Amino acid sequence: MKIKQFLVFLFFSTLIYGPIQAQNAETLLQNMDFLIAAPKDKEANVLMIIKDKNGTIKEREANLKQKGKYKKLYRYTKPEKQAGIATLSLPNNVIWLYMPAFGKAIRISLLSKSQAFNGTDFSQEDMSGIPYSERYNPVLISEKNDPNYQLALSPKSKKSKYSKIILTMDKTNYYPIKMEYYEKGDKLIKIANYNYQKQGAYWFAKEVEMTTVLKKHATTIVLSDVKFDQGLSDAIFTIENLKLEN
Amino acid sequence: MLNLTKLSKNILAKKWLIIVLVCLGTLFFGNELKKLQIDADIVRSLPDDDVDARLLKKIGENFGSNNMGVIILETDNIYQPSVIEHIQLITDTLSGISGISSVSSLTNIINIKGSDYGIEIGKLVDEYELPKTALEFEKLRNNILNNPMYKGSIVSEDETASLIVFNIENEANVNLIAKEVIEKTTTLQIPEKLYYIGSPMLVTYISDLMRKDLTTLLPIAFLVIAIVLLLSFRSLTGVILPLLIAVISIVWSLGSMAFLGIKMSMISNNIPIIILAIGSAYTIHVINRVNKVRLEEQHSDTIKTALVYVLIPIILAALTTIIGFISFIFGSYLDMIVDFGIFTALGTLFACLLSIFFVPAILSVFNLKNKTSKAPKDDSFITNYLLNPLHQLIANKPKAVLLFWIVLIGFSVFHLFSIKRSVDIQEYFKSDNPTRFAEQIMVEKFGGTKPIFVYFKGNMQSPAVLKKMLETSAYMEESPEVYTSMSIAKLIDEINYNFTNSRTFPQEIEQIEQLWFLLDGNEVLPRFVNEELTEGIIISKFKSPDNKSKIEFAKYMNRFIAENSTEECQIQITGMPFVDITMDQSLINSQIGSIAIAVFFVIVLVGAILRSLKSGIFAAIPIIATIILLFGFMGLTGISLNIATVLVASVALGIGIDYAIHIISHFKASFKKNNDVYAAVQESIFVSGKAIIINVVSVSAGFLVLVFSDMVPLQYFGLLIALSMVSSCLGALTLLPSLLILMNKKNSQNEN
Repeated sequence: MKIKQFLVFLFFSTLIYGPIQAQNAETLLQNMDFLIAAPKDKEANVLMIIKDKNGTIKEREANLKQKGKYKKLYRYTKPEKQAGIATLSLPNNVIWLYMPAFGKAIRISLLSKSQAFNGTDFSQEDMSGIPYSERYNPVLISEKNDPNYQLALSPKSKKSKYSKIILTMDKTNYYPIKMEYYEKGDKLIKIANYNYQKQGAYWFAKEVEMTTVLKKHATTIVLSDVKFDQGLSDAIFTIENLKLEN
Repeated sequence: MLNLTKLSKNILAKKWLIIVLVCLGTLFFGNELKKLQIDADIVRSLPDDDVDARLLKKIGENFGSNNMGVIILETDNIYQPSVIEHIQLITDTLSGISGISSVSSLTNIINIKGSDYGIEIGKLVDEYELPKTALEFEKLRNNILNNPMYKGSIVSEDETASLIVFNIENEANVNLIAKEVIEKTTTLQIPEKLYYIGSPMLVTYISDLMRKDLTTLLPIAFLVIAIVLLLSFRSLTGVILPLLIAVISIVWSLGSMAFLGIKMSMISNNIPIIILAIGSAYTIHVINRVNKVRLEEQHSDTIKTALVYVLIPIILAALTTIIGFISFIFGSYLDMIVDFGIFTALGTLFACLLSIFFVPAILSVFNLKNKTSKAPKDDSFITNYLLNPLHQLIANKPKAVLLFWIVLIGFSVFHLFSIKRSVDIQEYFKSDNPTRFAEQIMVEKFGGTKPIFVYFKGNMQSPAVLKKMLETSAYMEESPEVYTSMSIAKLIDEINYNFTNSRTFPQEIEQIEQLWFLLDGNEVLPRFVNEELTEGIIISKFKSPDNKSKIEFAKYMNRFIAENSTEECQIQITGMPFVDITMDQSLINSQIGSIAIAVFFVIVLVGAILRSLKSGIFAAIPIIATIILLFGFMGLTGISLNIATVLVASVALGIGIDYAIHIISHFKASFKKNNDVYAAVQESIFVSGKAIIINVVSVSAGFLVLVFSDMVPLQYFGLLIALSMVSSCLGALTLLPSLLILMNKKNSQNEN
């Protein structure tokens, strides 16, 4: 009789434990999304260090202004040849490019998410700003005693370059520590290492290094002079402002 | 003067030392052999002192053009869902191969185009939603047709072929990756036909053919020569010793190559078979003479006596052969031909040294006297059915023999001028080789395979330089031989058009610098400009394999460059068509140069050793006749002069001269002794003639094995050498004796 009771318990436990696990993973990912998108607005200087397999380094600098998840304005300051070029990202995948030498802004439609973001190792998909929980189905794969959470993210859309992402997340604050990107055939293609810091009430990625494994090519993005919640106006994120601010 | 008796005595006295040294040398070089590498890349063999070749190499290294491979997918219609899926499958497969830096195909190529509201940047085909309907395919077709960037690079105009282009990283192992490409794409088992082309694939194909030739032809040549030797000597010693010497010589010469870090090329691939054929010859002469002495003179010190007889002819024969090979060093265009000359000469030297030191030592140590007692008798087949009738003919009708040769030479001279030349690498492959089909598709549907590069030095973001690039492209594309061209200027022009909706090229450098923003980090950029943006290239392809078209195109382009190259915008042009022109010209120069050098030194050397310039000139006559016959045959049959057949004349000269040397030295000794021209000729033909015939049959049989080679020029090489051997043998056994009779008749005791 005891065995029968145990089997019934085991059956119901499996039924219940599965959804709990999924719910936990979902919550964890939502927590991370919440942490990333917590500031109302953000301004920072962005240094992009692009290193090829021979060790040759190229640097770019830009001033970043961001409001909410989807409004981003990058105004490039270095290299000097490209100083003044600005990109304005708006909701619904709308991007405007401004080139001061032509004195005009033009709308760019990025049709491919797998395309590199401005020659870096980040793809448009990586930089999209869309919350991870909206794009991926998570499964918790770490054990209870592991120092960090580990989640396997599988894309909801079939239009993803990645077949899965293994996300390592800080247990206390839910910020990402490491992401391993896999493509079809479970082939590791990229690794991102995050260095999160806390400033005021917010955690932010002070430094992210993305390495493309096969090409031995890496990009490090370093943020400095980070300011949060300055009350950036919506007018900053307009086409007119692209020309005016220059 | 060399004391032959003393030398022979010393050789036999130090037989054990010689054997030990040879064994140690063989162990050393055999161990080195493991390091020997194959390099079938013709570009790497181009000389650095040639401007076109140097620039081509530089472009190959700096812009990665040597590492570009192409897969051609051929079907009845590219615009079908399954075909697009298969192209994507191949693209993904190649992208996953470690060592491939980029892959570009219909399913992943970036498409920048203007739209009503701005620019659309994306892929030509949505990688996640491949076109399926007729409407989607129509849209794709129009996108390709309307974009000049895709002309001749993605889909053929007849829509039956598509290209998947991949780049191999500089430090990667090209052969391994090319093989992986073939293996992985073949296992996909897609129904469309796949062809592989581009430098990495060609180099890999040729390397494979070389390996196949080495592993299959060498044992066959070995066997054929063994059978000929067995039939000739009817003794195991007569078979084993010549082959052993040849094998040791091969090991030593290839081992030396490996030791010096020189790679095996598609020309030096011949070295083992050539040394096998030549290397056995000297031993044949030693054994033949030992047998002869044993049979006639019943000496107790047979080997020593035989050595005294053969030392000079063997050394002389080897030296002349070495001269034939060394002559390639002068006037040869390709480094691989120089390497071939040096190491075949070295192999010949080894074979000579081994046959005069090692062979007598072995014969003496193993006391092979009894085993060779079945030496061929004088009434052998060769003597009765070949040498005797020949001697009768020469002795009775020397003038008729001479006349026959004069007619034959005249006939050959007539055809000599119709010899064709070819430097087309495609001629290396048999007509049914897939590479030939790939080449044909590329020429017919994608504007050719022979790369042309126009090199620009200047600021690659300067409007003036970029405009000059566009002008050069336009001028170049007016030539019927150029289908399309691609450069950074065209890319900038296209982006500018999409950005401004105007075909007016940007006037300000700042505008170009900012348009560059859209290209930064693009994988295609390093193919067109260097990192510092001080050098750039226009990449194009040349259609015709015809040399005349290449020369005309070179003149056409050089005229433009002379008028347009400035200090701020320096222009140069290179590419395989340009290298081909120089290579083609070098074929003639190299041929004339190497023959002239070889003939000159042979006459001087033979004259000096035989102490008579007349003897030197006489020795050269049969071989000069052979060379004329050889070229006449090539002109008559349409066999072209190429990087392999250009070697034949000098190789034939080097080997063929030996026959004349043996006859003339024998004749001299006999004539001096008896002062009877007829008796001297008879003795020369009967004694030396026999060894010559055995040698010709074995050497020719060895070379004829090359007819089964997978590389066409090597087939002709084998055939032509065999033909030259027979011809120089006949020259030495008929033309030379006839001349000797006619020239020495008056001084002879016996004038009839």
